[in-house]
Amino acid sequence: MNIKETIKLSTPIERVEKALKLAHQGQPFLNAVVTFVDTEKQLDNLQNINPDAPFYGIPIVLKDNVNMKSVKTTGGSHILANYISQYNATITDRLQAAGAIVIAKSSMDELGMGGTNLTAATGPVYNPYDLSRMSGGSSGGSAVLVASGVVPFAIGTDTGDSVRKPASFNGIIGVKPSYGRISRYGIIPYASSLDHVGYFTRNVSDAALALEVLAGRDDQDMTSSFIEVEKYSVDLTGDLSGRKIGYIANVVRAIENQDVLAMFNRLIENMRIAGAEVVSIEMNEDLLNAILPTYYIIANSEATANHSNLDGLRFGVQQAGNDIEEIMSASRTAGFGKLIRKRFVIGSFSLFVENQEKLFRKAQKVRRLIVEDLHRALNGVDGLIAPASGYGAPKLQDTSLDQLSSRYLVAENFMVISNFSGTPSLTQPLGYVDGLPVGINLICHPFEEKKMFEIAAGLEKLTGLADCIREVGE
Amino acid sequence: MENYNSAYFKQLAKQLRFDLSDQEAQDIVAEFDTLLNQLSLLETIDTEGVTEMVLPFEDETTFMREDTVKNVFTVEEAMANAPKSKNDYFVTVKVVI
Amino acid sequence: MNYETVIGIEIHCELKTKTKMFSSAPVSFAKHQNSCVNEIDLGHPGTLPSVNKEAVIQALKACMALNCTIDPVIRFDRKNYYYPDLPKGYQITQQFHPVGLRGSVTIETAAGKRDVRINRLHMEEDTAKQFHYATETWIDYNRAGTPLVEIVSEPDMRSADEAVAFVEKLRTLLYYLGVSDVKMEEGSMRCDINISLRPEGTTEYGVKTEIKNLNSINNIRLAVESEIIRQTAILSAGDKVEQATRRYDDTLKSTVMMRKKEGNVDYKYFPEPNIPPIRLAAEWIEEIRSSLPELPEQRSIRYTEVLGLSDYDAKILTQNKELSDYFDEVLNYTTFTKLAANWCISELPAYVSQENLSELHTTLTPKSLASMIDKIGQNIVSSKQAKEIFPHLIKGESLQSIIDRLHISQVSDTAELSDIINKTLDEQPQSIVDYHNGKDRALGFLVGQIMKKTKGQANPVVTNELLLAELTRRKPE
Repeated sequence: MNIKETIKLSTPIERVEKALKLAHQGQPFLNAVVTFVDTEKQLDNLQNINPDAPFYGIPIVLKDNVNMKSVKTTGGSHILANYISQYNATITDRLQAAGAIVIAKSSMDELGMGGTNLTAATGPVYNPYDLSRMSGGSSGGSAVLVASGVVPFAIGTDTGDSVRKPASFNGIIGVKPSYGRISRYGIIPYASSLDHVGYFTRNVSDAALALEVLAGRDDQDMTSSFIEVEKYSVDLTGDLSGRKIGYIANVVRAIENQDVLAMFNRLIENMRIAGAEVVSIEMNEDLLNAILPTYYIIANSEATANHSNLDGLRFGVQQAGNDIEEIMSASRTAGFGKLIRKRFVIGSFSLFVENQEKLFRKAQKVRRLIVEDLHRALNGVDGLIAPASGYGAPKLQDTSLDQLSSRYLVAENFMVISNFSGTPSLTQPLGYVDGLPVGINLICHPFEEKKMFEIAAGLEKLTGLADCIREVGE
Repeated sequence: MENYNSAYFKQLAKQLRFDLSDQEAQDIVAEFDTLLNQLSLLETIDTEGVTEMVLPFEDETTFMREDTVKNVFTVEEAMANAPKSKNDYFVTVKVVI
Repeated sequence: MNYETVIGIEIHCELKTKTKMFSSAPVSFAKHQNSCVNEIDLGHPGTLPSVNKEAVIQALKACMALNCTIDPVIRFDRKNYYYPDLPKGYQITQQFHPVGLRGSVTIETAAGKRDVRINRLHMEEDTAKQFHYATETWIDYNRAGTPLVEIVSEPDMRSADEAVAFVEKLRTLLYYLGVSDVKMEEGSMRCDINISLRPEGTTEYGVKTEIKNLNSINNIRLAVESEIIRQTAILSAGDKVEQATRRYDDTLKSTVMMRKKEGNVDYKYFPEPNIPPIRLAAEWIEEIRSSLPELPEQRSIRYTEVLGLSDYDAKILTQNKELSDYFDEVLNYTTFTKLAANWCISELPAYVSQENLSELHTTLTPKSLASMIDKIGQNIVSSKQAKEIFPHLIKGESLQSIIDRLHISQVSDTAELSDIINKTLDEQPQSIVDYHNGKDRALGFLVGQIMKKTKGQANPVVTNELLLAELTRRKPE
């Protein structure tokens, strides 16, 4: 059932109460909620909102890096454990204007810097399909709250696949639109040139509808796009005939799990039967291998500068000290987890004058080459597909995801190319491996989200996987 | 390879206004080695004549904000999260110039 | 050994916009602490900068006045460091692509004229204000985010006089443009001076000292002079000058050490990713250029070449924008240019102080002053009488009312005067003889007599003319 249908079949209060019940029920198992948000005033305010509004009375969740006035916004970090937002992010305003009721702020990897959600200040988030496994991150909380049926929609952010990877691990849809399509104003940043606001839904129809609500120019975000917002949800036929889709051969080759490969190949077969032309596209292997170090350098460098405001002086948790340097240091040492302190050190290293040319600026140049290669690959096709991951959600003890590995994994890191290039991309359910969801990732041309949702609707018909819920608790 | 040892990274951290424990500094030394290997991979890529990419879309904008007062905090909102304040000033230990 | 002084100056100037450089909070003027800020100015998590168009316009005007080459693409960078007055932990500035490059201003001192080159002009944002007490520092973020232009000169100045002339020239220019209050005492204009010495005739730069905390023109002069003495003493003794930052101490009347320059701080500059490059249309830039008010140099040229005023008069008039504006207004109502100039330069300042000149036109309108100048020029009122009139005119009383009330009138009627002159000459035959015998005092005596008869109201110019003519006619055979 999609959001449009849901609105017709229940009242806002019914929906919100059900969502809260499920959230509380699942919380001891999933640990996905950081703060439960008061809904009374929001429900009251519905009388000022047109009942035809697309998200009228729909309970939603915001990742805890989204500012919501008078609500605690922690960014998943101890240093902001007591920070009460004094302003709304632009998307908070837009969602509330569309009738949405925010029921909770969800857990995330600290300051968005991670892919496991194990680094959240409030502890790990668990996978509803297997509680001994991770949700993935950094938008883990939002992902599991949608996957476990609590809410039909949740906001995440995607800097290096942080929406699209957890979507894969949780059997739902994760959307990252084009860079600048959704305003970043009021979102605690990770890396400004890579950050995208994204979101989770359980079906393509909702995904398309949500973009109509969220997208559009915001003068407060100078990188936001002036390009017109289309009616993405209208006429989503899912007709694949005549479409030309490429699959990224390098990624497919790097996948070891035979079940994943089998599902993927089956899908391609069905796509052809449905009338699409599916071709193999070869990307530059060296450039694909360069994605991770390029990302690591750029992201960590920008992040280090972005979080220099977290010093405990104007807001946040302050530790004692004898002089200003001591206070700042004590606050930041206690406030930042060891993983992000590590990343800050490496990020800062790349920005030193003597290192910038070889590291930061070199990475920025390689970024351009990677982006050019992607555009070359996209040239002549409507979109590119590949499995979003070579496996289902890893076990909790598997910390390899957060470490630089000498063994480079093209299959696990390729989605970053959409962050580098700003191309719109989404992950949707492909199938199950050993009972664990695995997703397929789709990349399209900049600002061709309508086409992306069309294709996704077509794939959704073929997989038959939509509205998958794995409830927890009870 | 110069002296990228624990002490070096501890000093770097200090400049960023936080501390690293011995173990944490050691971890960075270990991971740094991996990073350097990955960086050598970057070096093999020819970027002669290639300019840096700062943002995904490099269109210039013509937009600038009109000079009108729009968004101001009340003093309460400004001070709401202040760890320490007096008379609506943010207060900290005396800063030595 | 003689040493040459080499001086470079860095100026930070607060712009006169309504809102901050990157946020729509108001720029504050002595308001309650932390009442002119929003989430952006406080560096709250998640905020993004948005560029103030008016700040860009004012920076462009400054570039034009300083003859800088303008970069039509505006780009910003981050300067990263930690300090309590820097809310984001970085300052948004223009390190790599300043809006203005390679300009120049001409300064004049007793030693002559010099072109001082401007290395760069760029936009950035101001920091918060800190108040240091015994054990605490209190911080007010109202000033944080205020738009600044930073102007850096080349080390082209060679004396305290030139340093002062440069700062004054910049102050005048920026004031004329209306882009800043340029009040050094209030901090809307701050100067840092870099000064070094080198043996006369050499070209290599010596070790430079940076002097901060100069809050008046006079202190600039004193600081430079004391620094020259200090550095000369060091070098003459065969020692080396240490690179350091010093500040000027008012009580000691000399510079004192602030801190040694410990190697160069690495600010890790990189392009600001939240602001895409901003393209300024060429026509728009030119529109701004045509909207510039007439600058001091142009006015000076107009005053001397078109209006025929002296260099000195032009200089005095253009030194003060309000005075110059007022003078130009007066000229809209009278054609007696030199008279108007005299009154504005000599008489007005005697009655009205510098600061009150801007309110002058509310009591003594240019039209009103012009009407009096007209009467002087037309010989209806003498200069002496004008001086009687003026104090009342300044209070706002109308010219006619003053003339009537004080019974000021001048006898200029030729027939009437001729009559009186004839009578006087008839009464003073000896004076006629004395005059023609070359006794100068005779003329003055006769004029005095005429004045007596007219109660001082005889128009001196006309009187003189007629008297001389009559005296010639009555020349003894």
